[in-house]
Amino acid sequence: MNNTPADRSSEPLLQVQDLQVTFKTDLADVRAVRGVSFDVYPGETVGIVGESGSGKSVTNLALMGLVPKPPGRIDGGQVWYDGQNLLELDDRSMQSIRGHKIAMIFQDPMTALNPLMTVGQQLTEMTRLHLGLSKSAANDQAADMLELVGISNAKKRLRDYPHQFSGGMRQRVMIAMALSCQPDLLIADEPTTALDVTIQAQILELLRELQEKRGTSIIMITHDLGVVAEICDRVLVMYAGQVVEKAEVKELFANPQHPYTKGLLRSLPRFDQVTDSLYAIPGQPPDLGNLPAGCAFRDRCDVSVEQCSQEAPELYSLHDGRLVSCFVAKEEASNA
Amino acid sequence: MRDLAGYILKRGLWMVLTLWVVYSISFALMRSVPGNPFSSERGMPPAIELQMKARYNLDAPIMQQYVDILKGIVFRGDMGWSYKLEDYSVNQVIAEGFPVSASLAIFALVFALILGITAGVISAVYRRTPADTALMMAAVLGIAVPNFVIASIAILLFVFMLQLFPAAGWGTLSQIALPALCLGMPIAAYIARLTRTGMLETMTKDHVRTAFAKGLPRHKVITRHVLPGALLPVVSYLGPAVARVLTGSVVLEKIFALPGMGSHFINAALQRDYTVAMGMVLIYTVLLFVMNTLVDITYSIIDPRVKLQ
Amino acid sequence: MMTDSNRETLERILAESKGIHGVSLWQDAWRRLRRNKTAMISLVFLILLAVMAFITPLLPLQSPIDKDLNNRRFLPPNLQAVVMGSRADLKFEGGTLTGEMAKFDKMIVALQEDAAQTGDADEQQKIAESIQSRMEVEHPFNQLWNELDPLSWKMTEIRIAVFGDYSIPSVFGTDKLGRDLLARVFWGARVSLIVGVIAALVSLIIGVSYGAIAGYFGGHIDAAMMRLVDVLYSVPFFFVVIFLLTFLGEPDVKAWFDSVGVDQIMVFYITIGAIYWLTMSRVVRGQVLALRHEQFIEAAQTIGASPPRIIFRHLVPNVMGVVIVYLTLTIPSVMLFEAFLSFLGMGVAPPDVSWGLLLNDGIEALSIIKIFWWVVLFPGAALAFTLFALNFLGDGLRDALDPRMKNRD
Repeated sequence: MNNTPADRSSEPLLQVQDLQVTFKTDLADVRAVRGVSFDVYPGETVGIVGESGSGKSVTNLALMGLVPKPPGRIDGGQVWYDGQNLLELDDRSMQSIRGHKIAMIFQDPMTALNPLMTVGQQLTEMTRLHLGLSKSAANDQAADMLELVGISNAKKRLRDYPHQFSGGMRQRVMIAMALSCQPDLLIADEPTTALDVTIQAQILELLRELQEKRGTSIIMITHDLGVVAEICDRVLVMYAGQVVEKAEVKELFANPQHPYTKGLLRSLPRFDQVTDSLYAIPGQPPDLGNLPAGCAFRDRCDVSVEQCSQEAPELYSLHDGRLVSCFVAKEEASNA
Repeated sequence: MRDLAGYILKRGLWMVLTLWVVYSISFALMRSVPGNPFSSERGMPPAIELQMKARYNLDAPIMQQYVDILKGIVFRGDMGWSYKLEDYSVNQVIAEGFPVSASLAIFALVFALILGITAGVISAVYRRTPADTALMMAAVLGIAVPNFVIASIAILLFVFMLQLFPAAGWGTLSQIALPALCLGMPIAAYIARLTRTGMLETMTKDHVRTAFAKGLPRHKVITRHVLPGALLPVVSYLGPAVARVLTGSVVLEKIFALPGMGSHFINAALQRDYTVAMGMVLIYTVLLFVMNTLVDITYSIIDPRVKLQ
Repeated sequence: MMTDSNRETLERILAESKGIHGVSLWQDAWRRLRRNKTAMISLVFLILLAVMAFITPLLPLQSPIDKDLNNRRFLPPNLQAVVMGSRADLKFEGGTLTGEMAKFDKMIVALQEDAAQTGDADEQQKIAESIQSRMEVEHPFNQLWNELDPLSWKMTEIRIAVFGDYSIPSVFGTDKLGRDLLARVFWGARVSLIVGVIAALVSLIIGVSYGAIAGYFGGHIDAAMMRLVDVLYSVPFFFVVIFLLTFLGEPDVKAWFDSVGVDQIMVFYITIGAIYWLTMSRVVRGQVLALRHEQFIEAAQTIGASPPRIIFRHLVPNVMGVVIVYLTLTIPSVMLFEAFLSFLGMGVAPPDVSWGLLLNDGIEALSIIKIFWWVVLFPGAALAFTLFALNFLGDGLRDALDPRMKNRD
């Protein structure tokens, strides 16, 4: 768990309220994000967990203003940062926030860097734009950043092209790039998924170290609960475009409330038990282009009740600030 | 640098080998045609015919001829005498036609690149707008209508009806403009489509999303991160484009009555002037080899992942 | 060791997978293609064109080769009725084709009767020869059409039986020799399309086998084979082809080809086809090379699929897509090349007719004094629309078969 306690007494850095994103496809309108809300406080790391297609990446692309339009469309909601709603900003103001105040690193470091430009060009591009550095100052700063993320011989490597770096090294370059303007918030979209396990650990370690040094808030998008346990303070569990559970990391692992979260935790490999096979949540996620009424998880749920097929549960507040979107969990909590 | 020199050397060797094969096949074909170049001209005094045969080296044994001509080409760059144009050597014919064809080709290529890339970028950036549709319709038109049709209509329209350009002749810019435009049109159309496709494809790449995430303004993302990648297919197309320009110039030289290599080649082919035809094929082979090598080198400069080999 | 719960899980997964209905690549592609309006219009147009070209002898068209220098030169498009065989100089019986055919048939019948009456074998032989030669030279069909093959001959007979002497007026006008342009465009379509298709098929066969061999063996063989392709790319084939055609034009060479039963137009198809295989082989080789290491191929191997199954269920369909796309894009360039050569006087030679030849005629007729627009417009439009359709269909197929390329429009 994180060593630096996040300062949650102050104002949140970023507030996402009731975000809704739809993709228009040939067959149907796919409601990728259906009313997601959460806050990010200065210095904390928020994890967003869910399987592919749960809307976690789209949520974050939306708050960066990077949802491809068309086919994407923001149907509603607000994203408050620094007193302004990011969803309503014009292109120019949004550009001055992107990369400068809110930066992002992507899943696949192999493709996220421009193969035709040197790493130096790609690093300095941003600082020259946002910080107005001169060419030589930007170069010096870029070399410092590379050293900071643990790339040796930095000055020389600035002249190299991305294909001359290994996968892990490229992700370090991405991190250096993302942090080079000292952003308030870093969105990391599955930064370790495409990497070897040992490299994964190094990258997470690096992120944690850098956060300590700089106090940057991080949104960590992942489908890997191991990563969450490693680095996050709080966690949102997303399913079918909605947040189904929100909790402190320790509490989530100790006492999951939503049946989906329970399923996720059960499907983790355990070294303290001998089993032949891993648990898998039965069934498939619902078709977001054609959602049935009621709870989206109902068909895969082993505790579902009559009510689940009639109405969709809201995000109910339980004891000590935990939120869960499940009738059964709410019932149990109130009985306890 | 050493890679580059090695690469050029290798390509050069391949070229020499290819030229040798082309020469050998041409020679075999030429000599396998019965009779000699003058057999059709009846009533030639035997003395003169002997003299002519000596001039064309036809009285020597066949292997001797093969070696002699090859030596002439290699050591003196001499490709012999034209069979049909009296008192013209093949070299003279080529020297006369080359500047015309070369300037036509260069103008056409430059025009095709400028027009094609501009149209392609506009089309991709303003995708699914009337401008995009109009440009792409024009591009399909340019690809589907043979350029001799375009040229004929252009002559009718611009030369005779509007009288904007002179009808024929060679030398001034206004005389070169119309044939070059007609020659470049289909290539511009193709380049426009390649550019547009390349742009749209590159725009979906992860690294372009990264560039947007960095906060770069749209025009910067397009010029710095999208365009270079989008132009890679255009660069690879330049090799075939040169071949197409050379081919097309044959037709346009005929229509515009220009004294280029193409019209000489066609005349040679129609009149069975084998020495000139062979010389032209050899020259065109050299041109294409050189251009393709240049294109490959350019490609490897733009894309550092590509190694010359 | 299989516990009950494990078996249950497996059974559950199996049951679930049964509920998922796969869509095959081709069904999926066809569904996508159907939504692409331009591609579908192009496809319908091309099918219609092919059918029309095939049944051209059945259509009541005028003669594509009968000249009328006195009365019908450069007639603009019109609706004036034209009776088959009515041109005075043809000296057809009753001024109609049917009249002449009746007369001709009568004459043949008379000759056959002669042959039946005489008992002398030599005499019979002689008469049979005379019938043969008259059929070849004097039959009215041979005066109005150029060397009909047996099938077309039959079709023409059917056409005469159905339509009699009726023929469609010159709605496309006539050319400088007074020939009906509509008929010429239709007959030209046959040649132009066949050139395109045969040459493209030749390139397909060479390209696919060459590319597949290189891709399948990989390593040094692949390197050597592809190096050869690289080198061939730098050979100016257009000029080589013209050079070769020059030799083929030599009377002696021509005679030799005739003696082995290959006509020049065949040589022409094959030569063109043989130079268009380079790109095809590169494309196929790239595909095969990439697919050999794809995970789904390895996955298929892991679950024990047999090699033929891997090849036919996994490799071939994936390569076929690209091949078909490239084929639809090769046909137009071959057709353009044919037009080019015909324009230069080196392609299809009269009395055969192709669109390229028609365009050449049309352009020669372009002048400032009087614009005979129809001689350029109709053949030009026929060629351009066909090339449009092939290009649009090719693009549509590419998008349909390769959804990743959807953005290419």
